[in-house]
Amino acid sequence: MKPRNPILIWVLIAVVFFLGLGGLFVVDEREQVIITQFGKPVGKAIQEAGLYFKWPLIQQVNRFTKTLLEWDGDPGQIPTLDKTFIWVDAFARWRITDPLKFFQTVGNETWAQKKLDDIIDPAVRNAITSHMLIEAVRNTNRDEVDIRSVIGEEETGSDSLFIPITVGRYKITEMIQENAAKKLEEFGIELVDVRMKRILYVEDVQKSVFARMIQERKRIAEKIRSEGKREANIIEGNKARKLAEISSQAYREAEEIKGRAEAEAARIYAQAYSGDPEFYGLLKSLEVYSKGLDEKSTLVLDTSSELWKFLKKIR
Amino acid sequence: MVWDPRSDGGGGPWQPRTNPLEELLRKMGEGFRTKGPSPLLLLGILALLWALTTCIYKVDVEEVGVIQRFGRFHRTSEPGLNLKFPAGIEKVTKVPVRKIFTEDFGLRTLRPGVRTEYAAPSREQERESLMLTGDLNVVVVPWIVQYRIQDPYKFLFRVRNVRETLRDLSEAVVRQVVGDRSVNEVLNRREVIADEAKVELQKALDVADTGLKVVNLELKTTNVPEPVQPAFNDVNKATQDKETMIRAAEEQYNREVPAAEGQAQKVVQEAQGYFAERVNRAKGDANRFLSLWQEYKAAPEVTRQRLYLEAMGDLLPRVGRKFVMDQDQKGILPFLDLGQKGGGQ
Repeated sequence: MKPRNPILIWVLIAVVFFLGLGGLFVVDEREQVIITQFGKPVGKAIQEAGLYFKWPLIQQVNRFTKTLLEWDGDPGQIPTLDKTFIWVDAFARWRITDPLKFFQTVGNETWAQKKLDDIIDPAVRNAITSHMLIEAVRNTNRDEVDIRSVIGEEETGSDSLFIPITVGRYKITEMIQENAAKKLEEFGIELVDVRMKRILYVEDVQKSVFARMIQERKRIAEKIRSEGKREANIIEGNKARKLAEISSQAYREAEEIKGRAEAEAARIYAQAYSGDPEFYGLLKSLEVYSKGLDEKSTLVLDTSSELWKFLKKIR
Repeated sequence: MVWDPRSDGGGGPWQPRTNPLEELLRKMGEGFRTKGPSPLLLLGILALLWALTTCIYKVDVEEVGVIQRFGRFHRTSEPGLNLKFPAGIEKVTKVPVRKIFTEDFGLRTLRPGVRTEYAAPSREQERESLMLTGDLNVVVVPWIVQYRIQDPYKFLFRVRNVRETLRDLSEAVVRQVVGDRSVNEVLNRREVIADEAKVELQKALDVADTGLKVVNLELKTTNVPEPVQPAFNDVNKATQDKETMIRAAEEQYNREVPAAEGQAQKVVQEAQGYFAERVNRAKGDANRFLSLWQEYKAAPEVTRQRLYLEAMGDLLPRVGRKFVMDQDQKGILPFLDLGQKGGGQ
């Protein structure tokens, strides 16, 4: 039997073929798909990548991403429990885990971002306002490594302003995450984590913080200088003591030696002269006469003296 | 073949673009038509060309090809020429796994190279590097992160915006590490902070399934904000001043103490000299006396007289005025002019 109209058959084949092609669709590794029929979801969500079939024209493919998504918070001024105003820039990562729920409640990512804004931003606010600033800054109660020994400064620990924390950054973000994650579950969204990217003082506070930092440094500088003076004074005092010690020690030794010299000399003289004190007296007297008189002296001699006794006899 | 508005003088996408290849095909078609129509052959050639362009692909040395079959991850391919099923069935994405990427934070790379130059940071970049320390001070910490793609599968399919994720995570991690340290530590122990941040960042990237590997995390010059810098510099200057003061005192000490020690030695030595002199003199005197005494004992009277007379003999010529008086004449003394000068009588 010959086809009456080969063109018609060709057209029919083509139509079936293209309809078939239209029914085939590819789900990418990054995607998950909800099939809708006239806007109404049909069957389960497709979460595995691969080639799938749907009824062409009747059914629609709604693709959602499976990948991890970003949410960046709107940085706002938030007062901490200790009334310091700070900018907190938080970010979160989330993914669509239940595309059906997501499709029904949120619809698309733009709206999802809005929902995240509505839920996470207040959660961050609450967490920050109910904690001291230090809790959001520090993560652990780690001790400061004593770097003064490393850089050769001899400061005492008073310049370290480490305040111990009870909660810490990690726990705060965990609290935010837990709080927000529960609310997001009903939208088919899994909130993977919330983190604080930046925490900064607001302009005014920053100024006073700078002033405080300058003050602190001035104090440290003064301290170092006065420590320098102290060290120098100690060295100077040490020097004075050393000098006094040295000279007095020398004086003592010298005087002792001289004393021993006198004693020794006295002993020697005494030993020698005590043999005949009379003779010693004579010798020493003669010596004194001889040394003590000169051409300006006037000598009056009695004729009865030893020298003149012969003169008298002669006369 | 993409329509390029620049090369197409005022035409439009609906105007057929003349392409050498198309021209050739058209001519070939014409040739066929003249000899005998063979549209099937023409179709076959076209199909072959299409297959060649979509089935053969090249992967560069630094890359790896990731092949998806009907959207699903199928395999990876190594550098070189590779084959795949035509487009529509298999799709290849090339991922540069051996290339190292750099992200700057708080600074802007002006000219990358062995010695990378950085431009002055913009306001946003300044904010990027501003952070709080554990003692609630503000510091400026610019840093860079170098990374490569370790797992192309995760890199492609697990996270949508990998670069943004890396940037956010590294900001969070560096701040977390700095937030646990004092300003002094941040200024003086950059390497330790960088090392810890690198480990933490890698952990975070692994948890996030980014497939990235941190090759290097390096803190550039950490500093305090500009208004506070003079005060910090003054602390350094104070340290210098302190050193100077101590040095000066030590110098003074070193100058004076050894000199004093020398002086002390001198005094002691002099005393010892005095000792020797005194004793020797005493011994000399004593021995002289003893020798003389020895002789004196033998003839006391003569020796005594001799000594007396010798002394007088020595003395009398030297004395200026001499009076010899008789023992019986008592009245002469008043007449002596004791003030008169010179002259023997």
